[in-house]
Amino acid sequence: MQVELNVNGEQASLMLDARQTLLDALRVQLGLTGTKLGCNQGVCGACTVLIDGKPARSCLVLAAGCGGRKIVTIEGIADGAKPSAVQQAFIETGAVQCGYCTPGMILTAEALLRKRKRPGLDEIREAMSGNLCRCSGYAKIIDAVKLASERVPA
Amino acid sequence: MTPLAYHEPESLDRALRLLADIEGARCIAGGQTLVAMLNAGLVEPPALVSLARIAELATIARGPGGALRIGATVTHEAVTESDDVARNFPLIAQAARAIAHPAIRSFGTIGGAVAHGDPNADYPAALVASDAVIEIASGGRRRSVPAGEFFRDYLTTALEPGEIVVAVVIPAPPVGARGLYLKFARVDGDYATLSVAALLARKDGACTHLAVALGSAGSVPVRDRNAEKKRIGKKLDDAAIAELGAALAARCDPVDDVRGSSAYRRGLVPGLVAKTLKILSA
Amino acid sequence: MSAQSPANAVGQGVPRLEVREKVFGQAQYVDDMVRPRMLHGAVLGSPIPHGRIKSFDKSRALALPGVKAVIVGPELPAHHLGAFIKDETALAREKVRYIGDPVAAVAAVDLATARKALGLIDIEYEELPAVFDVDEAQKPGAPLLHENYEKYVKVYPAEFSGRNVLTISTVSEGNVDQAWAQCDVIVEGVYESPAQAHAYLETNGALAEFDAAGKVTVWSCTQSIFKMQAAISEALGLPMAKIRAIATRVGGGFGGKSEPGTQIIAVMLAQATGRPVKVILSRDEDFTMMRVRHPAKVRVKTGAKKDGTLVAREFDAVYDAGAYADESPGVVGFGVLMARGPYRVPHVKSVGRGVYTNKLRTGAFRGFGNPQTAFASEANLDDLAAKLGMDPLDLRLKNAMRPGDTWVGGQKVEACGLVECLEKLRKQSDWDKRRNSPAPAKPGKKRGIGVACLSHISGVLATSAIVRLLEDGSFSLNTGAVDIGQGSDTTLAQICAGSLRVPLERVNLVNPDTDASPYNWGTGASRVTYTVGRAVASASDSVAEQIKQRASIIFECAPADLELREGGMVGVKGVPGKVLPYGAVAGFSHFVVGGPIIGTTALMFDGPGFDPKRALLRGVPFSNLGAYVFGAQAVEIEIDEVTGKVEVIEAWSAHDVGKAINPQSVEGQIQGGVVQGIGYALTESVEWDGGRVVNPTFMDYKIPGALDVPYAIHPIIVEHPEASGPFGAKGVGEPGLIGVGPAIRNAIAHAVGVRLSVMPFSAERVWTAMRGAA
Repeated sequence: MQVELNVNGEQASLMLDARQTLLDALRVQLGLTGTKLGCNQGVCGACTVLIDGKPARSCLVLAAGCGGRKIVTIEGIADGAKPSAVQQAFIETGAVQCGYCTPGMILTAEALLRKRKRPGLDEIREAMSGNLCRCSGYAKIIDAVKLASERVPA
Repeated sequence: MTPLAYHEPESLDRALRLLADIEGARCIAGGQTLVAMLNAGLVEPPALVSLARIAELATIARGPGGALRIGATVTHEAVTESDDVARNFPLIAQAARAIAHPAIRSFGTIGGAVAHGDPNADYPAALVASDAVIEIASGGRRRSVPAGEFFRDYLTTALEPGEIVVAVVIPAPPVGARGLYLKFARVDGDYATLSVAALLARKDGACTHLAVALGSAGSVPVRDRNAEKKRIGKKLDDAAIAELGAALAARCDPVDDVRGSSAYRRGLVPGLVAKTLKILSA
Repeated sequence: MSAQSPANAVGQGVPRLEVREKVFGQAQYVDDMVRPRMLHGAVLGSPIPHGRIKSFDKSRALALPGVKAVIVGPELPAHHLGAFIKDETALAREKVRYIGDPVAAVAAVDLATARKALGLIDIEYEELPAVFDVDEAQKPGAPLLHENYEKYVKVYPAEFSGRNVLTISTVSEGNVDQAWAQCDVIVEGVYESPAQAHAYLETNGALAEFDAAGKVTVWSCTQSIFKMQAAISEALGLPMAKIRAIATRVGGGFGGKSEPGTQIIAVMLAQATGRPVKVILSRDEDFTMMRVRHPAKVRVKTGAKKDGTLVAREFDAVYDAGAYADESPGVVGFGVLMARGPYRVPHVKSVGRGVYTNKLRTGAFRGFGNPQTAFASEANLDDLAAKLGMDPLDLRLKNAMRPGDTWVGGQKVEACGLVECLEKLRKQSDWDKRRNSPAPAKPGKKRGIGVACLSHISGVLATSAIVRLLEDGSFSLNTGAVDIGQGSDTTLAQICAGSLRVPLERVNLVNPDTDASPYNWGTGASRVTYTVGRAVASASDSVAEQIKQRASIIFECAPADLELREGGMVGVKGVPGKVLPYGAVAGFSHFVVGGPIIGTTALMFDGPGFDPKRALLRGVPFSNLGAYVFGAQAVEIEIDEVTGKVEVIEAWSAHDVGKAINPQSVEGQIQGGVVQGIGYALTESVEWDGGRVVNPTFMDYKIPGALDVPYAIHPIIVEHPEASGPFGAKGVGEPGLIGVGPAIRNAIAHAVGVRLSVMPFSAERVWTAMRGAA
């Protein structure tokens, strides 16, 4: 079937099987490989994208159901070569080790900071709780979100 | 591989007609369970009928008698963010909030959760304790089934082929009732090893309303209405709480799995029931 | 990121070299790669735990439209592989030995077709009785997994005896049997630890492509491009000159990507189809087909004088190796070598054995036998402290190794910061107060704090480095060491930049590629900073010498009169005006005199080695390892009295790293290790029902999330310079995990008085123990 997707502000017309997840459509059809496959059952969060501003598990969303919705992936976060406040904070605090969880973490943090301007430590931990990381122990990721929240205009 | 047909009807009638006409077709709302099953190859339907565009399924509103009517495609997130639910139906709000993680809650729906009928999930016990009623529709008729009768067995509900859940209706709790959903899990976001959903109302120290249902305690939520009735009009002291806990433990038939052994889960019942009711009595 | 990094970046927490590509989503992991006409591969695992392959029929699978190749194990030549014992083949040829044992593979136009084809491969098995327990497996008459075990090639002086026993390692020093008589107090216990899954976020995968000359390029997430090159060569009989292994970005390894994953299979499918083939395992395939940590049962007996002086330690361990040896001999040998712990104990006898069972193979995983050892050793020491009436931290302090002490076997350890680790730990965790007069716990909870020490190594095996001066005064650094996310690329570049006095931006780090990179054994054993870093420092120093040599011609002086200066300059000592940028020296070298400046170092870890007159070492597959690192960890917990669930409130982890080249990376490794250790201690356990893994998904196998661990995990960096290390540095990759399990176990004992001996300390185990003790 034909599906019209709006990804990172651009329209794309794709020929898909309804079985295809949004993750698959992004990675394979659109070549946007920044969003990762970790478990294919919605637990790890490596596949997180934003759909109409909300964090979503793209491995659990059918591409066919995304017509008319605004999808943002990691590739749509920076302003050209200029990292967002969240990306810049991730660079500075040591929040990135193997990097596989990083796109999902960044998208989740972006969604949080668009909704809450000065989240407290526990709020940050709760918001990030659905994204697994096996390398960092989380502390520096939380530091990054905190740092970004301090830099985002109130 | 034969392409999977995907339909996005804009009315309930159209959706029901598609489900009746296409054998094996499944409806999809948030997809948080169904897509995982598709990914794993556990189901291979010929067609999917999306409920996402059906406006009447997506509302939360109060109905006759102050009952809360939650449309089938209302997301867990919407339930947790509703002020009315948070203030007046705290048991429901807490159960919704306990589900998985934020990204899942953005898309998962109450209809999907209920239709899946997993006693290890969070809504079923809370709905049974709340005396919720499940509204069902098919091409030919509408009917309502109390939550306590809706969940028949593990992943088995009262839904017949061609039927879908259209709403969950929760009666206004008795005046002064307090609700609590206590979930014990191995890690944050996991299915419960055991959960307790409770509603308690008292007047001058005596119980006027008591409902306790357990999740992850058997093939359906576990409740003992007779044991609850015994407490009406009486104080809810430690001995009474212990008796209720023992009655519920005796009714449990929990599984043995990686989350806990059957013996452990049954062993937890008195302590967790007591903890829940003590918080509600404070 | 600052435009100009400090000229000497050593000791600075500079951002990772590759961090921008990772935060922009541009990092290329193997599954992100696409090659023209690429096919997709899938792997079929055995459905039974033990059996002989009787016959096979590929025709139905080959007939499926879109299928381009089907390979079944029995078609392959009998080339045996294995890191220490060559007991396995690329696909099972004659027998299958665990549920999930790879037995066939398919390449097709898309992944769904490839997976569908797996179900159409008909293989007939003669099912054999299976054994799933190490004790059962050793009994006479137990099913034998490897009937030809004696004939297998073994690359070390293996010792083995007993049914299904593949390796026995023995390390002993002094005379334990006689030493018990000197002891006032003796405590013995048996400690069991589970199989832990690596659970890296990126599953195993590889992409292989042949060129017209018959050379294959393999991209994969691997911890060693050289091991992959060798394994492919062994499996297929291809010379290494025809095999190019390249590392893509690795989404976590932790030991689970040290041995082949799907590389050999991808190469075979590429060979069969003549097209590039990508083979990526799904999560549940990775959980059931690859490898996990060795479950172990360890008996420890420790004897001490009544003043707490340790006298004797006896250690006896059985490790479940699963169906194939994989890195078991190394794990067993190392676990046994670590049995004394970082303490002064004159009499030590330690024995370990690996036993085959019909389950998923077990292999390398952060700690490599040491976590199992540390659990037993440190739990036992706490029990000893209790019997002695001593504070457990004091007991450790009293017996801790000091600089100049020897490891078991006589290796002298000059740099040892263990005492400082313990003292800093005591102070920063406010140990005495938390131990003796803790703050009240939350209602319904019990609070406790526990401690554990650890030691580990960071120097082993061979490595090399090439540093080239580029024409403008920049450098290219090539070591073949794979950064698996721990930050080694950056650390090595810092060592190079620091040695040569240039900003970090002027060092190009070459991606590991067997075509271009000099040999490096691999990323593991916490060895890259120390072992590879040594080679980098040495190659950089060689370049420095050559720069001075060329410059001495230009300045008409002796090379000894010259010095390197910040910013990439060489000048005459004491004469600020006489200075040249490296670019000028490079130009001179390229066009006038001397030729290109290239510094190379090849080295084999060359520590003191074990002294056979002092200690008995048998069946241990390392002749030499060292650059010992030391640590002490403390964990404060609360236990829910109703459920038994243990929550870690705060953790402190002190490590002597010699020198922190990049403190931010060191902290990240410590924090990550602690959290992985919390998972191992509390919630992670691969479970089997007979031979079937029952929890091969993230839904059922739970690793900690952000809300399951405290934010407050305090890394404490201690620096006692290691003389042979680059800028004094040694390793820290594994230690963060090693002491966490016993520290938690000891904290539980402090909180509720129960002394657990089986890990993980799930809520159910703690709850049951609390009721038993009541």
